[in-house]
Amino acid sequence: MVEIIHLTKRYPDGKAPAVDDVSLTIGTGEFFGLLGPNGAGKTTLISVLSTLLLPTAGEVRIDGERLTRGRADVKRKLALVTQHNSLRGNMTPEEILELQGRLYYMDRRRIRERSDELLAFCGLAEHRGRIVRQISGGMKRKLMICRALLTQPEVLILDEPTVGLDPASRRQIWDLLRTLNREGMTILLTTHYIEEAEQLCGRVAMIESGRIARLAPPRELICALGAFAIDEFDGEHTKSTFFQTREEALRYAEGLSREFAIRSTTLEDVFLSEVGRGLGAQA
Amino acid sequence: MKRFLQSVATVLWEKWVEFKFEWGRITAAAVVGPLLYMAALGWGFGASGTGGRPYIDFLVPAILALTTMNASYTAISQSLSIQRIFEHSFDQLVISPTPIPAFLCGQMLAGALRGLYGGALILLLSIPFGASMHITPAFFLVMLLNGLAFAAFGALAALLARTHSDVTRVSSFTIMPMTFLCNTFFPLERVPAAVKTLVRILPLTHASGALRAIAYGEAPAFADLAILALYALAFLLAADLVMEKKQNL
Repeated sequence: MVEIIHLTKRYPDGKAPAVDDVSLTIGTGEFFGLLGPNGAGKTTLISVLSTLLLPTAGEVRIDGERLTRGRADVKRKLALVTQHNSLRGNMTPEEILELQGRLYYMDRRRIRERSDELLAFCGLAEHRGRIVRQISGGMKRKLMICRALLTQPEVLILDEPTVGLDPASRRQIWDLLRTLNREGMTILLTTHYIEEAEQLCGRVAMIESGRIARLAPPRELICALGAFAIDEFDGEHTKSTFFQTREEALRYAEGLSREFAIRSTTLEDVFLSEVGRGLGAQA
Repeated sequence: MKRFLQSVATVLWEKWVEFKFEWGRITAAAVVGPLLYMAALGWGFGASGTGGRPYIDFLVPAILALTTMNASYTAISQSLSIQRIFEHSFDQLVISPTPIPAFLCGQMLAGALRGLYGGALILLLSIPFGASMHITPAFFLVMLLNGLAFAAFGALAALLARTHSDVTRVSSFTIMPMTFLCNTFFPLERVPAAVKTLVRILPLTHASGALRAIAYGEAPAFADLAILALYALAFLLAADLVMEKKQNL
């Protein structure tokens, strides 16, 4: 279980806190999503969870134990896939995985076995001896995921893990994450792909200006907004209106004179209605 | 303890992989500067006397001190700052269960070994310059201690740096002045009294002094060895404190 307790992170040069008194509990085996516009505080929160940043106030507990940089026993349970490429450019995929295994005290034979499995699964087996600098961006993302999975962590933290992947690779990673979650791994995911969160996460938190704006299962958030949507296009903008039932939506549509479309509401609609205001304000 | 040693071995392995990849550049960078000093000063003043001995005998031990200093400092400061600021591969180390002191000890040892490597090459290259030196195990011990101190200093600089330029700046304000002033190219006696006190407390002065004493067939001063060890320990503790407490790694 991951407990985030009254967590605040304020940067020395920042006026407002990047994360502002966030409290959150992620249950063991849960697939949890963190959504928010750019600058909302998602990556800061992830960085505190990975101890790269120290909190200004509050704390993080993993299975009841306080997470600090010095707590090797607590950190052993975590693995992180960062938003940006964080691979050693002058190492091969094989060496990168070996380094990761060694940092977690894995047996050499086990490192080889797990590396073989993961590299084969991600289609990187042929590239295992190439210098990382020479492989494609998509391969680098997959390798970062392989690296995080090598140590079979209890809690997997993924910051925008599928950015830059083609749709087939993205689906492949989704399947892998689903399988791992089913096997009991706790997963915390931040993503800009709302569809990804809707597909994978049991619960999502929407963050805006460092605070949690909404927290619920995706289905619940969608139902609260209205299961059906009508999009009206006035020539410049699309306006969406939400309804609890199809009948209500159809009754509303009868009175419309301009072009419209009726569809099911998505988590993206919830996102836009909840934190999309922030996007508008930024623009 | 087993885990600690395993972690140190992991860092050494990582530095070995790095060395394998870049050994040509690392070797060239380690020897070009010192070789030029030996050529310019050795050919220019080698035959002249310093303290009753040929200048080349005075010069080469100091060149070895500054070679180990530079190689050790660069090996750690450059690599660690690149991993931390550009590659962000340092993130994986921070989140891993590898203990911070073990990681830093591994870095120090790897840096010191890189210093020894550079020193050994310069030692070989100094033969044609005709320097006469007594080489004993203590000679390598001093180079190792010097390397440990400056590798730890390199780690500290890389951990404190906000940009990669900061690491270069630290080098310009610390390594560069030491290169010229710390009992290297001329005897400490010729340094003005006001500066001498400052120079005496700097680590390279003690590395040069100890290496020169051994090269002359004398025993190194215990104080020189102790001061180098203290510097290594102080920089290690400072780097450990930074890694534990720095708000934004």
